[in-house]
Amino acid sequence: MRIFIPIKQVPETKAVRMDETTGTVIRQGVTAILNPLDLYAVEAALLLQARHQAETIAISMGPPAAETALREALAMGIGRAVLISDRAYAGSDSWATAWILAAAIRHCGPADLIICGERATDGDTGQVGPELAAALGWPVLTYVNRFDWDGAEFRAGRRVEDGVEELAGTLPAVITVVKEIAAPRLPTLAGKVRARQAIIPQLTQAELQLDPAAVGLAGSPTRVQKIFRPHIARTCQRVMAGDAEQAATACRDLHRFLHDRKVV
Amino acid sequence: MGEISYRPVTPAIADELRGLVGAPYVLYGDPEKLEPFSHDEIPGKHYRAMPEAVVRPDGAAQVAAILKLANRERIPVTPRGAGSGLSGGAVPVHGGIVLSVDRMNRILEIDRDNLMAVVEPGVVTNEINERIKELGLFYAGYPMSLETCFIGGNVAENAGGGKAVKYGVTARYVLGLEVVTPTGEIVELGGKLVKDVTGYNLVQLMVGSEGTLGIFTKIILKLIPLPKCQVDLLCLFRGSEAAIAAVPKLMTESGIVPTAVEYMDRLAVKGACDYLNETIPYQECGAMLLLSLDGATESEVVADYEAVGKLCQQYGAYEVYVADNPTTTERLWRIRRAIGEAYNVYSQRQSGEDLVVPPAAIPALVAALGRLGETYGVMVPCFGHAGDGNVHARLICPPEWSDDRWRDTLPRLLADTYQATAALGGRISGEHGIGCKRKAYMRTVVSEEYLHLLRAVKQAFDPNQILNPGKMFPPAEMA
Repeated sequence: MRIFIPIKQVPETKAVRMDETTGTVIRQGVTAILNPLDLYAVEAALLLQARHQAETIAISMGPPAAETALREALAMGIGRAVLISDRAYAGSDSWATAWILAAAIRHCGPADLIICGERATDGDTGQVGPELAAALGWPVLTYVNRFDWDGAEFRAGRRVEDGVEELAGTLPAVITVVKEIAAPRLPTLAGKVRARQAIIPQLTQAELQLDPAAVGLAGSPTRVQKIFRPHIARTCQRVMAGDAEQAATACRDLHRFLHDRKVV
Repeated sequence: MGEISYRPVTPAIADELRGLVGAPYVLYGDPEKLEPFSHDEIPGKHYRAMPEAVVRPDGAAQVAAILKLANRERIPVTPRGAGSGLSGGAVPVHGGIVLSVDRMNRILEIDRDNLMAVVEPGVVTNEINERIKELGLFYAGYPMSLETCFIGGNVAENAGGGKAVKYGVTARYVLGLEVVTPTGEIVELGGKLVKDVTGYNLVQLMVGSEGTLGIFTKIILKLIPLPKCQVDLLCLFRGSEAAIAAVPKLMTESGIVPTAVEYMDRLAVKGACDYLNETIPYQECGAMLLLSLDGATESEVVADYEAVGKLCQQYGAYEVYVADNPTTTERLWRIRRAIGEAYNVYSQRQSGEDLVVPPAAIPALVAALGRLGETYGVMVPCFGHAGDGNVHARLICPPEWSDDRWRDTLPRLLADTYQATAALGGRISGEHGIGCKRKAYMRTVVSEEYLHLLRAVKQAFDPNQILNPGKMFPPAEMA
């Protein structure tokens, strides 16, 4: 079993700021981290690695500095890592990114399972997983909260609005996982030393030979029309109860208010 | 100190206070509004006292006028920062006026040429670093409560905290003060000077004076270049003896000074990890060390943490986790930070102690506390800044005990705890202060002559005993 885990380096959530004129995330001077939601994908892969002696490969597209995110995945126990880095790919949106990832994964040899995080905490689209499946022509299961594989067939749970959908199928497949899948482990000293010494091969346009019109800004259909800070209005109503009876009425009103809004 | 009788804050005096600072900044006669000023962050209701009035001045002149009035009328004045203290220092044990510095919350100057900052006492400590981070500067005082506490309170208590092993405590960074004395005089102590031997070192006398000698209205702080890289290690040990024994070895054998060396024993680890639903394999863990290393370059810090981590393994750590980014760093430190809260949830009947011994004696202190816990049948989780010999021990009442039994046992348990600390050359507070919480136990660790000197200093500054009375000094020895 060969598992690919596409991961992304993102600005630290607390530090994310937007450039409201260009509509892009300001990345300069901001600490970059491995997308926190990708940690769950890494952990899910590590559990399958331990259970089925699966081969795990973390893959990321980004500037050379994104290597740090890959090394963090290696420190957690991922087998090896590949970085896709080329100026030709700069400015790729989720569609172009998925296209490039698909080509890179094909380039790296056979794959059985691709595990993605639910979404990245910067762009927040959650599109790359499904788009990657589309680019590969594979089935996709999003919001997976449980995944077992018996060597032939998988059984998975999908977190949906009102419960969990139980699905079974065969590989290959792309899954995107939610936090419930497993709590990510912490990198160990031994893992860090191994990760620091690991050689991370770089894939560029020279290897992937993609149509320049399908990658980078040219290959990205996404257009940011407008970016703004939503105005959140909060109003407060103070209910004064003079006696127990008024208090009881107020409590009933409050309960009805919350109940109507499905809070309780 | 002899018993002094104080006069009440009458409506006429309240009016006079309103005249000094403006009516909106005086709270008087409304118990609901005064109540938040009756306690600090010691859990439980034992160390509480209501003020008669709360005054919120802005600037040294108003503070001076309040203290002159208080002297004239013999009304006690208790200065208050954020109220995040743990020794009752801001509690008005004799009632009177609480003087809150919260309106004096401006960062007045960042002096890049001298690497100094001038701030008012009501600035939240963390805000200083938020402001200077982009300039590549750093204020190294780092109490655990940095996101809420005020710098004025840090100076008054000489706060220590998580980074004192490498950077020292608050005192190291205070170069100058504008102080209003208890008699209402405004004086400048020290200044923007790295060296200054012009007379007694009154700046350092003021640092840690627990609001008994003066009220700070301006503070000059030393800044240092911001360390660019930091890595944290969480080291898991099977036994607490091995973990605590590793601490002095790390400090002396590695050739590296960690920024922080935090110790958490089995009870502390279990309390915090249960509370957080942590998934690291802590069930078999007897104790943890949380170490921080920082430096100017990544390669330097990597070499340091690999060396220190390996030394920990050599001294018995069965796992070492590494955090070098905000995600994992937060995960490690929240375990340390959750200990206090976890035990507050477990029981409000407890005493938080702040024992300090010479660093090499820390294993002996932890062993002695373990024995005391067994003897008394109470839980004594130990955690804290082990690298500088400072351990926070919680004496926690078993849930099945009655209040009476706890009230009866605690003084004996405390006396034994402090005696065990003193026997190792230690003191009863490393960074929280004496306040009203520990004053009765001062004699366990200091001589009568020492107390006499403290009293003489207090008398010189505050002849009418109006500033923060009821703190630090034990009652006079019974004949």
